[in-house]
Amino acid sequence: MTTIISVADLVAENRLPGNYFASDVYVRGTLEFGLLENRRGNRLLALPETLIKGIYAGLEQETGQASKLVLLNCGRWWGKNFYARFCDELSDFYKRPLADLTMAEFLQALQQCWHTHGWGGINLDPAYQSKGFLGIQIFSSPYAQYAPPSQQPVCYLEAGILQAFFGQLTGRELSCVQLTCEALGADYNYFVLGLEHRLKPAAAMVAAGKSYTEVMAALSQQS
Amino acid sequence: MNQQLIALFDQPEKRYLNPKELSSLSQYVASLPERIRVYRLLRDNEVKLMQQAVDSLQAQCSQISEKQLERSTVTGLLILRYCAMAMVLDDATFVKQRLQGWLSAVQLAYETVKVDQDLHEMLRQQLGRQFTAQQLSLLEPALKASQVLLSQPPEKPQAMVEAAKI
Repeated sequence: MTTIISVADLVAENRLPGNYFASDVYVRGTLEFGLLENRRGNRLLALPETLIKGIYAGLEQETGQASKLVLLNCGRWWGKNFYARFCDELSDFYKRPLADLTMAEFLQALQQCWHTHGWGGINLDPAYQSKGFLGIQIFSSPYAQYAPPSQQPVCYLEAGILQAFFGQLTGRELSCVQLTCEALGADYNYFVLGLEHRLKPAAAMVAAGKSYTEVMAALSQQS
Repeated sequence: MNQQLIALFDQPEKRYLNPKELSSLSQYVASLPERIRVYRLLRDNEVKLMQQAVDSLQAQCSQISEKQLERSTVTGLLILRYCAMAMVLDDATFVKQRLQGWLSAVQLAYETVKVDQDLHEMLRQQLGRQFTAQQLSLLEPALKASQVLLSQPPEKPQAMVEAAKI
């Protein structure tokens, strides 16, 4: 019988990339200094519920309607830096450039990273990939949970993060629209990413109260 | 150490440990030399054990693709390493903490659920041949915890399920 797998080769470097972002090893603290750090010693910032609520309330008071845009732009800035740090950590852990990671490795790491940072769960929905859209499902989001009451989806910060993160990953300028929101009673927050001109109808449809199904059907029917 | 043992150290200012608690602690300490011996055996025989498990599986199911088998081997090696550490710590929840979520995401991505389960079974057979019953009893809680995780089918995200209906 021919052996197709050599275990000795697989462990040759004595290093198998496991669960890098496992929460019990990734997040560390120095109690004396009141610091939270990740496993590389980079500082982490804890956002208590009161602060998240305070940010929403403060922005609403200071900027009114523009608070959505402020949050979106903050998210974009955050997402840009998050992407750089994520790639840096991941390629360092795998000892391979990011481009050499499989999509599965990348996605699994992103899911665990998201979870460990306390941002809830994240899943990618490839159902509309052939139409040029990427769906993203986020559940148990603190940014939806602590948002002020609204008739519209409220996760502008996350929309900005996703827009910048996947924009850099794909090397394209992307837009992001949130279609469903936990704050409005949905089971999860559903975001759709795509090129700006193709995604344009989505924002207006969401504002008009159209459902996820209606928006995605309309986007899919575009020529 | 498992949570019950760690909890023994929580409140030294309130009271001394009772005989039952001290006995639990003594039992763990007394078992440590054997735990470390088993850990060494696992470390030194990792390649041999896993290669035998892989070869057995390949002999039984020749239709498994090389890609799937390689990924399952990597997963199997990782599981064994987590189990080895959990055994030293006498804490099977360690396996769950490190593997839950991550394992199902990997299985879903590489479509290796069945191969992972079969390889784990082969590995357990190899361990049964190489280790004494007493040594196996130390490893058993961690192996069982990993088997439970492997036997839980990874769930497809709800959004994908609903999107597929449209």
